[in-house]
Amino acid sequence: MTGQGEETFRQYICRVCGLIYDEALGDPDSGLLPGTLFHDIPEDWACPLCGVTKLDFEPYIPPQPGQYASNGDDQSSFVRGQDGVVVIGGGTAGWSVAQRLKVLDPDCPVTLVTGCSGDIYAKPELSVALSRGLDEARLNRGKGCDVAARYGIRLMAGAFVTGLDPMARRVRTTSGTVRYRALVFAYGAQPIVLPELPADLVWRVNNLPAWLRLKATLGDTPRTIAVIGAGPVGCELAEDAARAGHSVTLLSRGPWPMDTLLPGKAGSLLASRIVQSGITLRNDTQVIGVRKNDEGSVSVRLQNNDDIIADLAISAVGLRTDLRLPAMAGLKTDCGIIVDENTLRTSDPAIFALGDCISVGGRPCRYIGPIGAQADAIAHAILGLEHAGYVHEIPPLRLKSRALPLELRGLPDPERSWEVVEDSPKRLAMRQCDGEHVIAFLEAMS
Amino acid sequence: MPETTDRQDMTASRHDETTLLPRVRAIAEGPLAAKVVDIDQHGYYPLDILAQLGEVGALDAHLARSGGHIGTAIKAMTEVSRVCGATGFLMWCHMVCGLYLEHAPDAALNTDLLATHSAGKTFGGTALSNPMKALAGIERMALSAHPVDGGYEISGTLPWVSHIAYGQYCGAMAALQDGQEEETREILFLLRLDDRVTLRACPHFSGMEGTSTWSIRLDRYFLPDQDVIACPARPLIAEIKAPFILLQVGMAAGVIQGAIDSIWEVEGQLGHVNRYLEDRPEALQAELDALVGRAMALAERTHEQGKDYFLDTLDLRAHGSELSLRATQSALLHQGARGYLSSAGPQRRVREAHFVAIVTPAIKHLRAEMARLSAEELPA
Repeated sequence: MTGQGEETFRQYICRVCGLIYDEALGDPDSGLLPGTLFHDIPEDWACPLCGVTKLDFEPYIPPQPGQYASNGDDQSSFVRGQDGVVVIGGGTAGWSVAQRLKVLDPDCPVTLVTGCSGDIYAKPELSVALSRGLDEARLNRGKGCDVAARYGIRLMAGAFVTGLDPMARRVRTTSGTVRYRALVFAYGAQPIVLPELPADLVWRVNNLPAWLRLKATLGDTPRTIAVIGAGPVGCELAEDAARAGHSVTLLSRGPWPMDTLLPGKAGSLLASRIVQSGITLRNDTQVIGVRKNDEGSVSVRLQNNDDIIADLAISAVGLRTDLRLPAMAGLKTDCGIIVDENTLRTSDPAIFALGDCISVGGRPCRYIGPIGAQADAIAHAILGLEHAGYVHEIPPLRLKSRALPLELRGLPDPERSWEVVEDSPKRLAMRQCDGEHVIAFLEAMS
Repeated sequence: MPETTDRQDMTASRHDETTLLPRVRAIAEGPLAAKVVDIDQHGYYPLDILAQLGEVGALDAHLARSGGHIGTAIKAMTEVSRVCGATGFLMWCHMVCGLYLEHAPDAALNTDLLATHSAGKTFGGTALSNPMKALAGIERMALSAHPVDGGYEISGTLPWVSHIAYGQYCGAMAALQDGQEEETREILFLLRLDDRVTLRACPHFSGMEGTSTWSIRLDRYFLPDQDVIACPARPLIAEIKAPFILLQVGMAAGVIQGAIDSIWEVEGQLGHVNRYLEDRPEALQAELDALVGRAMALAERTHEQGKDYFLDTLDLRAHGSELSLRATQSALLHQGARGYLSSAGPQRRVREAHFVAIVTPAIKHLRAEMARLSAEELPA
């Protein structure tokens, strides 16, 4: 039941991470009671997910689908040759472009194909969800089938794309073959599975179903956990598990956590804060294998033959884009699907791509921030509507850490030295310059 | 030794595409074309045609001992299936049986029998439809094996095994019940179809009558150790699974090409109205050429065991089935009443395409397996 008073409550979206502040719900974890209006929130309040301030929020109005013919049968229009848009992927990227298309043209047939249920959730939340005591009800923001019905999108849930024929413009899936006028790859990136970290023994947390399975396996008792890989995700997962009461060992391949991004000074500070938060940190370690022990625990074998015994091991060694389908379509690829920077079009004019699966300027772009703008550009291009074009900017990287809130802007060059801008008990700021030009800037707050 | 080199050269040239394919085409368009209605409707089992195909080297091009020309074997099967889908299927059964024999440890199988089998002098098929589905968890293994002195006793009933008859043989698989291992193990063996075996005729199928399809009943059939091809069977099955599936694309490609041929046959007369139909011949041909191109690329990489390779193979096979259905449907619509005569190719090919789509692995099996391979694996 919605009370009369609640109708005036509004929602605000974080421009950085996409978190929605709903006045009706408040943010009880930060002491904001349900019903707290946005303008009553103290100025020092921070986004519970990424840590930015109120200034980075803007009013959120859920996009309204236009008048679509609810009694129409999308499927028959496909067969009759009015081929629509097929979107592959049911995460933020896939839904963004599917919804944008329907908002701009309610008559455009849109099919979204996803191997999962297509339910809506914010992936960045998964790496902080244990310590916040979140559960499925709070993480799941909506059923995929409900959203699809609201927008008039044909949802093919639980369907994996197995192949495609760009000449005949057909996508083959495990639930049948679909024709397309335009195709959008939005299937993200997948956790790297190293042979020494087999998938049946080592956890990977890259989607809500995997996180829920992990949560159920952890249960309610404190466990010992080995987190393998100390990049941003590994650091966040380790801190999250430790704050949730588990005993965590973080294994870093480099001399300090996030060593490919941070200089030694910042890395040492991060390392010390990680240790202070109760995590056992092992730098310069390489895992050479994992095996299951009789009593159900796992042994993580290091290169010096040390074994770390843990109730479970989580791999956070990075993501890669699965290039099987783009290769079948004959698309140009490198570390991802190569797209035009302004139109997000691939080397096939009828195929677009956005989100974690693309490569811009030879680099992957795995941030939530730019997805909305990418979806907008693609939807306009497909519908033949004028658009100024997508402008690619690398968003700042924010470590969701209470031990050491850290923000990194720009693209650090591992070969270049860093200079200290400020080194006070409250703040460490460093930068990398190319002449006068600052190419990377990092700031860690105490 | 010069003698050996000569023999290898001869083998190489026989299986060379430019030599083999015209010979296969001559058989397909000559004696096979003359019998196709008999095969389809009256159940004529064309062993004479298979013998001719064996003679020119069309039944063993895919074997490692012939150089492993899987691409050429697919093309040869395409030539045959273009004229008669049932004979193309028999060719596939025969080729797969050859793969089993080649991997058998006993020389009586891997040398003597394989030689006559390859040459089309003896005949045998494959009874692995049920085991393949059983290994994928779709149905139960129909045959069971109990160890006895010098071999095993096999019992059970297999429905619908093709390219078999008394005096012939086939590759078969049974669940091993020796009570020793906790995990199930299987045994792959050569089943000799002699008087110890009961073959029962199948009900009349809507097509493919000439494939000599029977149900096999075994009651404590004695399998000597020498006829065991692999135990445990799974490693060998994993090794030959990709060629097993890939070779079937030859059947699909032939049926599709035959359908396109039928469309062109009436183009001069009926093109003015046929242009209103979907799936016109140029588009079908382009799609078929792309499909065959993918098959040839995969045929060069059959040693790969990775997930991506296997997904590509399953997807190709599924695409072959889907395109068979579309192309044959289109051909019948293009030809109209003349294609609907009981002796006409288009109506026969519609039934052949349905067979391509339902024979193991059927479209639904392929999709189930691809979904299983695509799902994320997490710790139990």
